[in-house]
Amino acid sequence: MADKKKKSVVAGSSVEVTPGTSFDLDALKQIVELLEASEVTSLDWRRNGERLSIRRGPPPANVMQPMSMPLSAGVQVMPAAPAPAAAPGPALTPRPSAPRPTAAAEAREEKKGHVITSPFVGTFYRSPSPDQAAYVEVGSPVKKGAVLCIIEAMKLMNEIESEVAGKVTEVLAQNGQPVEFGQALFRVEP
Amino acid sequence: MFKKVLIANRGEIALRIIRACRELGIATVAVHSTADANSLHVRFADEAVCIGPPPSKDSYLNVPALLSAAEITRADAIHPGYGFLSENAEFAEVCAKCSIGFIGPKPDVIRLMGNKVRAKEAAREAGLPLLPGSPGVLKSADEAVEVANEIGYPVILKAAAGGGGRGMKIVRDAKSIASAFATASAEAVAAFSNGDMYLERYVEKPRHIEIQIVADVYGNVVHLGERECSVQRRHQKLIEESPSPGVSPALRAEMGKVSVDAMKRINYSNVGTIEFLMDENGRFYFMEMNTRIQVEHPVTEQVTGIDLLRTQIMLAAGEKLPFTQAQIVMKGASIECRVNAEDPITFAPWPGKITAYSAPGGLGVRVDSLAYENYVVQPHYDSLVAKLIVTAEDRPTAIRRMKRALAEYVVQGIRTNIPFHRAALDQEAFVQGVYDTRFVEQMQASEAGTARLKRAIEESP
Repeated sequence: MADKKKKSVVAGSSVEVTPGTSFDLDALKQIVELLEASEVTSLDWRRNGERLSIRRGPPPANVMQPMSMPLSAGVQVMPAAPAPAAAPGPALTPRPSAPRPTAAAEAREEKKGHVITSPFVGTFYRSPSPDQAAYVEVGSPVKKGAVLCIIEAMKLMNEIESEVAGKVTEVLAQNGQPVEFGQALFRVEP
Repeated sequence: MFKKVLIANRGEIALRIIRACRELGIATVAVHSTADANSLHVRFADEAVCIGPPPSKDSYLNVPALLSAAEITRADAIHPGYGFLSENAEFAEVCAKCSIGFIGPKPDVIRLMGNKVRAKEAAREAGLPLLPGSPGVLKSADEAVEVANEIGYPVILKAAAGGGGRGMKIVRDAKSIASAFATASAEAVAAFSNGDMYLERYVEKPRHIEIQIVADVYGNVVHLGERECSVQRRHQKLIEESPSPGVSPALRAEMGKVSVDAMKRINYSNVGTIEFLMDENGRFYFMEMNTRIQVEHPVTEQVTGIDLLRTQIMLAAGEKLPFTQAQIVMKGASIECRVNAEDPITFAPWPGKITAYSAPGGLGVRVDSLAYENYVVQPHYDSLVAKLIVTAEDRPTAIRRMKRALAEYVVQGIRTNIPFHRAALDQEAFVQGVYDTRFVEQMQASEAGTARLKRAIEESP
């Protein structure tokens, strides 16, 4: 009978699961502690429309979306010229001890839209040149493949394209600021 | 002196470099893949830049990303550490072209020693002894006899087309050589369709002895004594020590002089290590040279009192060697055990989260490590978790101290080779100081060695 509550014990663990009810916080805590003490990295449990999914370890690389392919394939080329002159822009500030850009970008994913992240290390520029307008502003509509910005690396200007069509809802990096691999640049809402 | 150094590496060596820079008042930039975001070197550096996804070729070997990171942080020098790009002459050249200091030797000498065949030729020209052998392929049994008599027995006949340990025959005296040559050639024809044979001196009990070199750009070269690295498995070193129990002061002086003279002849600069093979009679032969800082550099630091990383950075900045050969004194004994995330019996890698961690301490104990509680050992890179280094007034005390320190070392959540080290240090051959590169396989094949290993695993905290 549906209202006859029967407790069952999950084999190999000390967590009790009552059918028909959701996991409570204590049960979840116990499961997580069990996982942490083992070498299991992912657990996916489904039953009667309920589902528990736990994953641990660092987020997989490129968790956001496939890397935008810039128009100029500048990645492999070695610069022939000597060192660049001092670039404008602030030096990177010392890092907090919290997990890195991919995790921060993942937190932002909870908001609507697609976060475009940097596929390179370089300097972020919002316009093709200092005296021209920015490629996009908040609210700009973009087609798939539209150029959003430039990441300059070793004197090579790499155009970063949008992977989705939609509207730019957030600009997440500062003009002239150094950016690292995986750093969030824009949010585009399809 | 450099103002800011970018460390193009990871793990414990990145930490070591950061520490040396900090003591020199140099700012540091750590680069890391996304997998290493929570790594210690990232936290210890003044700045950090994520340069790519986990695979090394997209991150730590990604030259454009490294140079771009140096550009945006305005680093004026790069330290390549060991492995990765440290012996990549092209990378050293690109750094020079971008006016970024490369903390290591000059590109042309990196290139020279990087090619193992050219390195041997260069070594020979520079006066380093090589394993005697036939100049090329042996034309006849008579030539085999002649060459063998000249270089001295035992010798080994090798099939030119062989490999992987196949097509080799050991010959111990003059009367067997002619027939051995005939048989070996016939076998080679059958196995490899090529009967070409050559000859080399055969070393029965080879010991791996290496000499540490430091040199400035003004022609001053000094050696810092030897390290013995004969405890290896598949050419991966596990235990290193300085001084070597198999090297007398006279032999040390001879190896040192020969090495220094050779380095002067090739205009070597910065740090480097010359690896020799030593036979049971104390004869040594050049094997190869590593033009970078080595994993096992701490044992040399401990017995000579010289900070090798600080010295290396100063030399790269163009400073003169701050000491002479006469000022180098080796005092006491130091042993290093490489603690790897691997199964102590099978040596299979064992990445995962370290759930409990407590490093040993006390007098004469040094731990160079990237580990901490809750650190996740990554599967993408090597399995080195820590280097445990002990120093004592003599070798027996150093062995006792290492056993004490290993027994204190707590690393839970992953498997480590700590039990292997505990068992190895009890092996008679190691205690006596009479061992060679067959040590690990001999230990694995012996009942006593296997029993010790099992006991050590059971006793792990």
